[in-house]
Amino acid sequence: MQFLSGGFVILWVITFALYYLLPSKHQWVVLAVASGLFYVLGTGGLPLGILFTALSSYACGTALSNSLSAQKEALAGCSDKEEKKAVKLAFEKRRKRLQILHFVLNLGILVCGKYMAVILPFLRAGGLLSPAGDALFSNIVMPLGISFYTLTAIGYVVDVGREQCEAQKNPLKLFLYLAWFPAVTQGPFHRYEKLKAEFEREHVFEYGRLASGVQRFVWGAFKKLVIADRMGIFVGNVFDGGRPQIPGGIYAAAVVFYMLQLYADFSGYMDMALGVSETLDIALPENFRRPYFSKSVAEFWRRWHITLGAWFKDYVMFSFIMSDVGRKLGKAAKKRWPNLGKHVTALVGTMLVWLFTGLWHGRTVSYLLWGVYYGVIMCLSLVLEQRYAVWKEKLHIREGRVWSLICMARTWLIVFLADILIRTGSLAQAGEVYQAIPTDFGIFAALGTLTDYGLSRYAFLLLLFSCALWLFVSVCEERGMDVRMRLAALPLPVRWGCYYGVALLLIITGIYGGSYDTAAFLYQSF
Amino acid sequence: MEEKVLEILEEYCEEALTYDGDNMMEEGIIDSFTVINIVSELEDAFDIEIDAKYVVAENFKNKEAILELVRCLVEEA
Repeated sequence: MQFLSGGFVILWVITFALYYLLPSKHQWVVLAVASGLFYVLGTGGLPLGILFTALSSYACGTALSNSLSAQKEALAGCSDKEEKKAVKLAFEKRRKRLQILHFVLNLGILVCGKYMAVILPFLRAGGLLSPAGDALFSNIVMPLGISFYTLTAIGYVVDVGREQCEAQKNPLKLFLYLAWFPAVTQGPFHRYEKLKAEFEREHVFEYGRLASGVQRFVWGAFKKLVIADRMGIFVGNVFDGGRPQIPGGIYAAAVVFYMLQLYADFSGYMDMALGVSETLDIALPENFRRPYFSKSVAEFWRRWHITLGAWFKDYVMFSFIMSDVGRKLGKAAKKRWPNLGKHVTALVGTMLVWLFTGLWHGRTVSYLLWGVYYGVIMCLSLVLEQRYAVWKEKLHIREGRVWSLICMARTWLIVFLADILIRTGSLAQAGEVYQAIPTDFGIFAALGTLTDYGLSRYAFLLLLFSCALWLFVSVCEERGMDVRMRLAALPLPVRWGCYYGVALLLIITGIYGGSYDTAAFLYQSF
Repeated sequence: MEEKVLEILEEYCEEALTYDGDNMMEEGIIDSFTVINIVSELEDAFDIEIDAKYVVAENFKNKEAILELVRCLVEEA
């Protein structure tokens, strides 16, 4: 079920009305039922995948919690240090086995669903599939939001194991946590302890909150329908149109458009998700902080899909570094190379995170290379951090507006080169683009043929105006202004003029399908 | 014990010694890589095991919190 559909709006309105009518202790039930309905109506079938993940996470969380309590009791009865160590080790081993079982089952489903197209040819070639098995695996349909709820469930189980939260005693509440309908398709990745507190506190209707949530939803729809989907037409015609001899300038424009399309699409979705959640007084974490103002790639990734980055950092990087393997590697490296050695575990952890990030986003070699590319850049920046400061001093580079702009341009260039890999249909096409941009830029030919790729002169002007508006809002936010609060403080005619302006722009110039449906969100496919 | 902890902090994050707030990680005084290095040094220096559950922002919010964590773990061991 798309956010921009009649069905969703009806579900949202009914949920909203029932939610604020019921006493606070039953409010979470309305949200759980709405999330279940969103899921069932969205997939048109029984939500078996998410139910399995919710139940297995519930069982694993409860077993881990029981094991921790039993360990405390057993330790209280121990007298000497060695005995304590042995008891602790025995309990830890049991908990580790439980967690591994949970990961294998849930990640197994995710991997099968996501990578079956890659795995199947190998299974067929090895004669490992019967005709019935082949038919079954060829028709596997990925459950809605599987990437999101699987990682969220793993985070919950790890948090219980690390004693950072208590195990949930009510399986329906855990289902709500995993299936929270504004977030289940693409995130943001929330943390159990924080979202649980949000669901459990009392929620009282406030007009200001409703208005603010709806404004954010409309702004997200504007970014999606007016900017992202319009840019998508140009990008699609350049990369998927099968035209020969495209000048490098057109390729460069299409890559820049793709960078903005992806950002407008995904951050637009987040605005809608956070807006819906805000109307129901449930705070979700921010997932974007104007990443294209970043002065380094590391900063870019701290501002882009913030919650996924934090998830990988906490549950992959941290788990690796704190594991026996990570610790032994770190100690051995420090002995061998006293200076560089202290970075070794961090470097291996960083590469691991980026390999996983690449594979999580897509199943092709291009995505793997994309992950390696960012991993290498992150590792280099970690190792060269101190040297970089020395070079800056030697070259008498002063921090200031010009230097900031140069750093931002460098970030854009690095992201630009990476996005060619993931947007082109194949490595061969990516190679063609990398070659055409510096050798056959053809700026005049490019400018003269810009309108040959699906967008008219009027569409470009509209995009220019929309992006200028988007940039203006972003600059205000970057300077610390709360734009919605500022809007609310404006005189009534100006305020409503702004609301009507954006709403009309959205209605008149949004890209809608034949039956007024909308294109799917780009990140939904990751 | 205090002297040794401060020595380790000085080696990896000198700013932590003069920081007087209560959220070093959030304020960017100390990053997660530095925390991991400090954890490893503390484990070696005091023959303790710092479990993943203790490596949270709360226990690394300032030098006093780190000292308190080491003190508790040494006593526990």
